[in-house]
Amino acid sequence: MMRMLQLLNGPHDLGRGRGFWSGMVLLAAAFLAYPTIASSFSATNVAYYLLNIPMALGLSLLWGYGGVLSFGQVAFYGIAGYTYGIVAGNLQDFAWGTEAGVLAALLAAGLSAAAFGYFLFYGRVAAWIVPILTLVLALLLATFLGLTAGYQWRVGDIQLGGYNGMTGIPALQIGGLTFQDYAFFYLVVAIVAICYVALRIWVNAHRGQVLMAIREDVLRTELLGYDVRLEQLRVFVIASVLAGVSGLLYVQWGNYITPSAMGLQQAALPVIWVAVGGRDSLLAVAIATFLLNQLTYILSSGGNQSALVIVGALLVAVMMFAPEGIIAGLGRLHWLHWLRARRRAVPSGPASSGK
Amino acid sequence: MVNDAMVNDAMVTGGGGPVLKAERLCKRFGGVVASDQIDFNLERGEMRCVIGPNGAGKSTFFALLCGILPPDSGRVILKGRDVTHLPAFRRVRMGLGLTFQTNRAFHALTVAENLETARRASASASGAADDAHFRAAFGAFDLAASSHLPARELPHHQLQWLEICMALRRGPDVLLLDEPTAGMSPGETMYTADVLKTLSREGLALIVVEHDVAFVRKVAETVTVLHQGSVFAEGPVEVITQREDVRQIYLGRTREAAA
Ligand SMILES: Nc1ncnc2c1ncn2[C@@H]1O[C@H](COP(=O)(O)OP(=O)(O)OP(=O)(O)O)[C@@H](O)[C@H]1O
Ligand SMILES: [Mg+2]
Repeated sequence: MMRMLQLLNGPHDLGRGRGFWSGMVLLAAAFLAYPTIASSFSATNVAYYLLNIPMALGLSLLWGYGGVLSFGQVAFYGIAGYTYGIVAGNLQDFAWGTEAGVLAALLAAGLSAAAFGYFLFYGRVAAWIVPILTLVLALLLATFLGLTAGYQWRVGDIQLGGYNGMTGIPALQIGGLTFQDYAFFYLVVAIVAICYVALRIWVNAHRGQVLMAIREDVLRTELLGYDVRLEQLRVFVIASVLAGVSGLLYVQWGNYITPSAMGLQQAALPVIWVAVGGRDSLLAVAIATFLLNQLTYILSSGGNQSALVIVGALLVAVMMFAPEGIIAGLGRLHWLHWLRARRRAVPSGPASSGK
Repeated sequence: MVNDAMVNDAMVTGGGGPVLKAERLCKRFGGVVASDQIDFNLERGEMRCVIGPNGAGKSTFFALLCGILPPDSGRVILKGRDVTHLPAFRRVRMGLGLTFQTNRAFHALTVAENLETARRASASASGAADDAHFRAAFGAFDLAASSHLPARELPHHQLQWLEICMALRRGPDVLLLDEPTAGMSPGETMYTADVLKTLSREGLALIVVEHDVAFVRKVAETVTVLHQGSVFAEGPVEVITQREDVRQIYLGRTREAAA
């Protein structure tokens, strides 16, 4: 337990120490208290801004910490969403139908990522081709699902629905509780919090260090005795299951999914969130994902067609002026000041007395 | 796997065969013959120096031995087992360690994290790694004081020492060092020589690529000279360093460099 807390407080993300974690607890409390002052409509909207965070955190792990850029995480988002729709839809009359849907969706995302990742990493595909191949996977899936209009394209009772997508997807139900409105909001907040804490422990634990070692020097890591292919495959599967979690939450939110969820625009968005936040900081990525989803939602619900243009312009600006990400950049400045202040305050210890 | 390891150990300790062996290794890069029919034997506990002018093929030879590059032809035999087709990480798990010509410790990680990353590479077939060599080197190189520094903040010679310690962390039987003292002061070079010599006396087999003649004289018994990809000469250090033709190779290089 102590070890877990130490790892949680480890150095490989922004923010450490008592002050930071008090702030995090306050933030969590604020989210938990939010429904008492907000309508269920606003709570559901906030849940929508949050629900892409697991996918973004997965991409941060894969790209920011592991150095492997995937441009197609939405493929696994879509696979999970569609699988849930098919399984939960067909099992609507069974008590455990929606839970079975969740299980099937996560399995489908994980297994398809394992199969695709095996080909990528064990085939020793060059690093710069990985983003292209993953993007192609997402676009192929989107195109294929777009062709599935008509009654003949159905699984059991559920129609895939072509470009109009799959509708009437049932919401998750546990016992008498249906995760809609406030319950859905709490579900999303809980899952996001769990994902953040678990990943932060992971990056500070041994496997996270191996990941960063691979990012820094693939050959050196292999020459220490690591099977780099296996390590990369593992993190690809984790990232893709997390994309699946977001896909699952998305179909809970809107009760529908269309092929455009895996289209080019959607494929670009996670990369933008992660890059704008700062890809090697989980916290920065989570914050950026929340803010940018809110921005996009507000821009586009005003009938504005230019949301993607604005978000894209933001990406270009960030790449030019703060390549390590806006939020991570700001955060590091802050922590640097704090560290300097502390170093000045503490007289040189035994460790720094040598030359 | 366990049986394999026992058989290998028996062959190495009992049978006295070489711990690492190269048979007629060849590697070309386009028109350049980087390795040309290299035959090579390294006994357990032996300390071998490999010398040769720039471009002689020393680093390529190491890359073939540890599996970074596949040879065009020939075989590599580690502890009695043909490993020619094994990927690098499997050879490392069998008991091979390597440092690169340019320092490649993980600069973003601390010294402690570097060593921990090296220690926790998945367990080798021969079970618990014997880290006696590591502990000796770690103590001699006095890295404990810098444990919590990021590697990038270490002075150059300590960074070299750190990479040696990383390669030793899991208790290899054979250590390949590609110019470990490059960029060190004469004092640091001689100290490194002392430490490596001690390790070899305690049973570690080493191959060291080195240009520094003083270093070679100090540590090696046998020296192998590579020239244009093939073994040009091999023999006791006193004989090799006196040979006129060996000097010519090096002098030729200095003359070219000066011109
Ligand atoms: N990846 C490669 N592609 C093409 N040519 C290569 C490659 N690696 C090495 N060579 C060539 O093979 C020859 C041997 O190179 P190698 O690096 O093994 O020499 P070396 O003895 O280690 O030299 P140095 O003392 O400069 O380190 C050189 O002519 C080099 O240009
Ligand atoms: Mg070399």
